[in-house]
Order: sequence, then structure tokens, then C-alpha cells
Amino acid sequence: MAQAIASTNVPRWLPADQLDRLIDVLRADGRTIIGPTVRDGAIVLAEIQGAADLPAGRGDEASPGRYRVTQREDSRRFDHAVGPMSPKRWTFPPRAPIRLGRRTSAGVRFSGVDPRPTPRPTPLAFIGVRACELAAIKIQDHVFLDGPAVDGDYRARRASAFLVAVECATPTSTCFCTSMGTGPEVTTGFDVVLTELDDGFIVRVGSPAGVTVVDALSLSPADGSAMKAAEAVVAGARDAMGSPMNMENVHEGLQASPEHPGWAAVAERCLSCTNCTLVCPTCFCTSVVERSDLDGSISTSERTWDSCFNEGFAKVAGGSFRPLVKDRYRQWLTHKFSTWWDQFGSSGCVGCGRCIAWCPAGIDVREELAVIGGVGPVPMPQLSVVAAATEAPVTISPGSVPAAFVTVHVDGSSRETADTMTLHLSTTDRRLLAGRPGQFVMATLPAFSAAPISISRFRSDGLDLTIRAAGPATRALTELERGSTLGVRGPLGRGWPVEEMTGRDVVIVAGGVGLAPLRPLIDACLAERDALGAVRIYLGARTPTDRLFVEEVGRLALRMDIEVEETVDRAGPVWLGRVGIVTQLFDHATWDGRNAVAFVCGPERMMQATSEVLFSRGIDVDRTWVTLERNMSCGVGLCGHCQLGKFFVCKDGPVFSLAELGPAFTTDGL
Amino acid sequence: MSPTARRSGRRRPRVGVVKFASCDGCQLTLLDLEDDLLAIAERFDIVEFPEATSRRSAGPFDVLLVEGSISTEEQLEELLRLRRESTTLVTIGACATAGGIQALRNWSEHGPWAATVYPRPELIESLAMATPVADHVTVDAELRGCPIDPQQLLELLTALVVGRRPQLPDESVCAECKRRGATCVVVSQGTACLGPVTRTGCGALCPVYGRGCYGCFGPRNDANVVSLIANTAGLDDSVASTRLAGFTAWAEPFRSVIDDHGGPPGAKP
Repeated sequence: MAQAIASTNVPRWLPADQLDRLIDVLRADGRTIIGPTVRDGAIVLAEIQGAADLPAGRGDEASPGRYRVTQREDSRRFDHAVGPMSPKRWTFPPRAPIRLGRRTSAGVRFSGVDPRPTPRPTPLAFIGVRACELAAIKIQDHVFLDGPAVDGDYRARRASAFLVAVECATPTSTCFCTSMGTGPEVTTGFDVVLTELDDGFIVRVGSPAGVTVVDALSLSPADGSAMKAAEAVVAGARDAMGSPMNMENVHEGLQASPEHPGWAAVAERCLSCTNCTLVCPTCFCTSVVERSDLDGSISTSERTWDSCFNEGFAKVAGGSFRPLVKDRYRQWLTHKFSTWWDQFGSSGCVGCGRCIAWCPAGIDVREELAVIGGVGPVPMPQLSVVAAATEAPVTISPGSVPAAFVTVHVDGSSRETADTMTLHLSTTDRRLLAGRPGQFVMATLPAFSAAPISISRFRSDGLDLTIRAAGPATRALTELERGSTLGVRGPLGRGWPVEEMTGRDVVIVAGGVGLAPLRPLIDACLAERDALGAVRIYLGARTPTDRLFVEEVGRLALRMDIEVEETVDRAGPVWLGRVGIVTQLFDHATWDGRNAVAFVCGPERMMQATSEVLFSRGIDVDRTWVTLERNMSCGVGLCGHCQLGKFFVCKDGPVFSLAELGPAFTTDGL
Repeated sequence: MSPTARRSGRRRPRVGVVKFASCDGCQLTLLDLEDDLLAIAERFDIVEFPEATSRRSAGPFDVLLVEGSISTEEQLEELLRLRRESTTLVTIGACATAGGIQALRNWSEHGPWAATVYPRPELIESLAMATPVADHVTVDAELRGCPIDPQQLLELLTALVVGRRPQLPDESVCAECKRRGATCVVVSQGTACLGPVTRTGCGALCPVYGRGCYGCFGPRNDANVVSLIANTAGLDDSVASTRLAGFTAWAEPFRSVIDDHGGPPGAKP
């Protein structure tokens, strides 16, 4: 095929009045044609019937917060820049059903997978795609298709898409593709590319599918003067954008400046209205909306576009991780221009300028980058434990990712505290049974949103989930009785590095319900007891009635080969043990942590304080592991909710070493 | 009520629909749920709903939908009584949640207005201000809008039956505008629009037809009205109070911004 492209890759000439021949060939293959057309005062993308629908003789002008369609003196169809829409609307639609849930006499059932590969969608052909948009498609391809999780819905839509690119001739003042290295010339990722001149188009091919289409048109080669004019078109577009910005320091600059005063300044203008993220051709954050009948017995889970600018986007039971608009603006800009590199090996920005033009308040990311990203590192207060942390690359969890909810049975449940239950589940699902300590599952019932729950025990025929009733969805799970069923997807995330324990002393510190994800690790300690040094377990809880697994902990405390110390913040009448916060348990400890590995789970403030104490006892940052709570939703790194700096907590964690987290562990609002 | 409880044969929840100072449009939204009415009637025992039935009933109510703002002393007493008789009290519509269009009178002198409008103002027994229900009693949930959105009402009722949290997102009208593929009227036409500071729920009804948002669903959390006036096309200090002085004018931060701009237009008779 490569040879076929080469032999056909002679630029051809398509007269202006024969553009419909190209569209007809694409339609003959059953494709729906998506192209630019004027509607509601903008050049938008929509289904077109033929070349007559294209915006002949129309152009556009854009500046921060302002966009207008203009009248041109020629009748070219593509002499405009990009409008508010991008092909993302079709490859990754604003709403997509991903799952059905049902309550049947045999228990709950979930069909479709998450995300669902839909029945073969209508094949599409996009006409008029610009270099920046091709770059955006490539970026989303990498996010959705290159794993570990693959979005089946995106894959099906994308596989059918035929891309007719067009060379840009007249950029607007908001365009900055030359700064991002994505344009203006079309170089890769297209099937056919057109260069528009007054009387016709230079046609080149970029794929086997493109060869087939262009061959069907039987076009003659383009002549030399046309080729020369075509070169001038692209050169003119490049010149029109002026000198590119120097983006060299932006990656480091943004991550080193979480406390920069520029964030608060831009937040005063920012409306947190989400427009920038929703017009962005690469933004991919979504939420799942549950709809059901009045009985809650049939439900549809629908994936919708969401935005990190929404207050609810980073919300967990205890509140939002990014309560302030400045936190959210920082998340967006830093992700787009900096942490995207760490996650996906490229910038998340293609320089299309939509976020500038379509920001109602006219905020220009180029100015914000100059203010915040270009000034270099700004000092920030750090805990000594964080200062010692070194940069560690993001690790990708290996293996394929479970995409579907499976039905598991409740064999029984145990009440742990007033609001926390442990469900004893049976399943034959081999993936669930093969999970590792520290991993979690998404658990759900029809009509309820899915909740991330850590696995608190693995058995040969099932597992335990320990669930705190923090809201209606988790409460419904805690109320499940013996004989009922629920949907579980997992195991997800990266668990505790059990192998790090071999030959070392082990320190385990838990606060409250944080003992749940550590319990399988304690099980692993017992199974491998002879291979480990000293094993010390420190447990804290608010009150005696907030302690988990009380009998089990009592039995552990009786063992001669494990040290268990417990404390509560506030004692009740029957509590004879220690009173105080968990870090006080270390006050009288005499051990040396230089050959120890530590595992910590509890409220974030407790983990920070504990890490500091462990560090002072000689446990280095690469041997202290914590597990983080975020609002995991998809569980596979595709919905964006659980981002923490360069990490997706759901897939890169939830277990991290302090060395990996670095300042992300202590920066507020990240 | 959880599905388990419902299947175990617990009685249907008793629902009341009542109104104070309002136009009845929001409660009629319940009747507009034509496809779902039978299912709703099967699962809820609608015992009080003057717009739909002449059958009257006293409380107690498991769920009480309250429309309208509190505009008279009599209404206030009635509201306090109804709150005592209701387990879950839900306010519906801009009047109940924000005071409604009639709350514009809160900026004006009550006496002179009554004397201008009525031949015998001494017969008028209204409070000086029209206020939202939440100013007087605890509210368990609210449905915004003028009028409320039928799908949000259905979502609330479904969530009550199923026992889950209703999904009523606090995001801007812009989010829905973009999902629907409508072109931003501020950016493309310079039209005044409250969409960026207004809570979603209407499906971006006005922008989809090329008009700016009037703020029917009221301010969302984080509504940055100051920046909206300072930085968006179509709005500036001269028209800000006119635009904000609508169905949800009395809700903060709209109210403070109107104050800062000298009150709504025509506050004096």
C-alpha cells in the first residue's frame, strides 16, 4: 500500500466547480459529510449535503471574547479559521449512553461495557479539517486508544472517520499553532489534503483510503504555477501569526508555580463557565449521569462532557478538592500545557485559539502563560519530607483494564461502626479474585452512581468490601443484605508494593476507615511473616466506636511476632487504651526506620503528619507509601475527575510513594 | 424510600402541592409530565393539589412541593404550619427559591406603591417584602427556574422513590449551550447574556434561539457577576441592573450587584 501512495502521491488539480465530485465519492461510500457552514452567526461544523453548503466567500475574525463572520471579496470556501466546533463533537459526542442496569429476579444485571462499544456508528467524512485539528485528533487518539484502558465508543467512531484536511490561509488573531508546533501546514494524520486557490484545489493524499478516493476522481496533475501559489498560501498563514511564543520553560514553570499570584488574578476575571474546556478539541473530562424509571429497576448511565471548572467536578464526600476558582483555573492551564506532557508525552494544547475567542470574559491563555508560566519557579512552603522527594516518572499500571460491571453476590455483612459495613461477597470472576492488596473496585446498583470502594480482603471464592455510608449511593450499598447482588468493576488501580516488604521491617499506620485498604496488606504480612523483619501496626480512630475489625485487631495484638498499638482521639467510658492522635504513638518508639518500609492510609492531614514523623525516624520518601482518596469515577484514567497534578489517582495510584508524589502531596487545591 | 422498603409493601408517600405568591406555572409542570403521570400517581399518593383536584387534604405530608414566595402574614403562618406537617419540603420555582419577579418590590417603598395602585390601600394586607421560602423555614431540596424544568421535577421524584441524591448539577447555562452545539451569543453577537453566572436546568433555551439568558434559574455557586459585567460584551454598568432585575433578582449575588448599581429600574412609583 505504501507504494501505491507513493505512485499516486503526485499533487492533483480539482477545479473549484468540481468539489461536489469529491463529496459525492465520499457519500457513495455511505459516509455522512461533516463540514463548515454558516449558522447562527458563526462558521460551525454540521452535516452538509454538498459544496453549496460550504461558506463560500465568508471569512471570520476573532479576538479574545469576540468572534464575527465576515464577507470576503473572493468566493473561496475554506478561507476562514476554526469556529467554535471541532470534530470532537462527532468522535467524542457530548452525550453517549455507556451502560444499562436492571434489577431482575436473579439479581442486578449490567449490560454494555464501560465505555460501551456502540453498534457500528454511521461512517463519517470530515471536510475542511485544519492542521491544529488533526493534531487534536491525534492527541485524543492517544488518550482514548493507547491504553491501558481503551474507549470502545471512541474507537468505533474514530475508525470510520475519513479526514479531508485543508491548508490554512487566513488565521485569526487568536491562532497560535506555530507556537505549539502543530501548523499551519498539514503534515500528517489526514486522508486527503486540499490547498484552496481561487479557481480550484491542489489535492494530495495521505493514506490508502485517500488514494482510493482520489483515484476515483481521475484528476490531472496540478501544474507548476498552481503549486507555487499553494506554497505561498501556507507561507502567508505562517507569517500572519507572527513570531511563535517561546514555550520552552512552560512545562517546568507551571508546575513550579502553584502559589503564583497570577492564579488569583485570573480567577477574578474567570467566570468558571466551562466554555474554554468545552470548545477545546482535546479536553476529554466527563461525568456519568444516571437516569432510571421511578422504581430504579431499569437505569441508563450516560456519559456527558464535563469540565474541571465545575465546582462539583472534584467533589468527594468531604467537599471539593478544588474549592476555589483559582484552583480550577490552575488545574486546567497546568494540565493543558504541562502535566499533559507527563501523562501523554505531548502538550494538551494545539494552539487553535478557541479557548481565547470563546471565553466570554476574553481571557487569553497566551497572556496567562507569559505571566505565570514564563517567570520560572516561585518558592513555596514545603514540609521537609516533600523537599526530599525527587521527581519520579509517572508509571502506567500494566495489563488490560476491566471495563464491565460483573454481578457479585452478598454472602453476608458485618457492621463495623455506626456508618460502616463490610460486605462479604462471592464471585467466580477470575480478575476480581486476582486483585492485589490496595486495589479498589467501582461498586454500583442500578439507578445509583458508582462509588470507588477499596477491597478489604481477598478470599479464594470472593472478597470483602468495607464501605462507609457517606451519601445515598454508598448507603444503599451498606444496606445490602445476604442474598442480594451488586455490580462490581475491577480490580482497579495500582496496589501496595508488597514485594518491597521482603527483608525489611514493615510499619503500617491507619487512621479510621483507612484500615480497610491496609487489611489485605496485613494479610500478606502474615502469609510472608518469615520473610519480613519486624512488623509494627499503628492504628488511630476518632473514638473507640470508630475502630474497624475490632476482634481481628485484638487477635493480631496477641501475636508475639507483630506489634500493634492503638489510640483514639477521644475516649469513651469503656476505653482503657491510649488517647491521642496516631502520630503520638511514635513518641516512645525506639526503632530505627532505615531498613523499614511504611504503608499509611487515613485522612490526608493525618497521612502528611505521619509521613513527617516516619521520615524523622529514618524511613525515606521512596519507602513510605500512602493511598489517596479522590473522586474516582471511570477508574481507568479516562474521565479526568481524580487528577492530582500529573497523576490520575485511579490508574497511577491510588497507592503512591512520597517520592512519586513530591509537592503534589501537600499543595492545597491541586 | 429505598427500593427494598417499597417492595416490602410500605405505603405510598403522601404528596402535597401547595402555593403562595406565584402564578401556578410551576405546579402545572407536574401535570405536563404527561407520559409519566400514571407512573407517578401509582407510586405517590397525591393528597393535596388544588390545581389538579378539588379533593382537599390536611397533612401530614411525606413530600410537600411548595410554590411561591411569602408575601403576606397569612402565608407565613400557613408555611410554618405546613413545615411542621411535612417530612421533606421541596421548593419549586423562582418565586419559592428566590422570591420571584414580585421580589422587585423589596427595593421600593411599600406604602406609596400601594397608594398608587389601589383605590383603598388600607385593605391591602401584604408584607413589605416578598421573600423566598428558605428565609423562613428549613428547605430540604429546591428546584429552580421560572418555570421549573419537567425533567428536573421527574428526576427529583425518581430520586425520592429510589432513595438516591437527585442529579441537579450546579453548572452554568454555558455548559448545556455547548453540549447542544449552540453558538455563544455573547462572543458571536455581543448580546447580553447571564448564562455564565446562571445555573443550568433550562437546557439553554434562550441561547439556542439566539437570545441572551435572563437568569430564570438564578445564580449558580461561584457566580462571578462582577466579572461578567466588567468583561463580557453586551453588559456594562449601565444595563447591569436592568438585566439582573428579573425573576431571581433577590437571590445573592444578583441582589448585591443590583444594590451596587442603584437598585432595579423603576423602584419608585
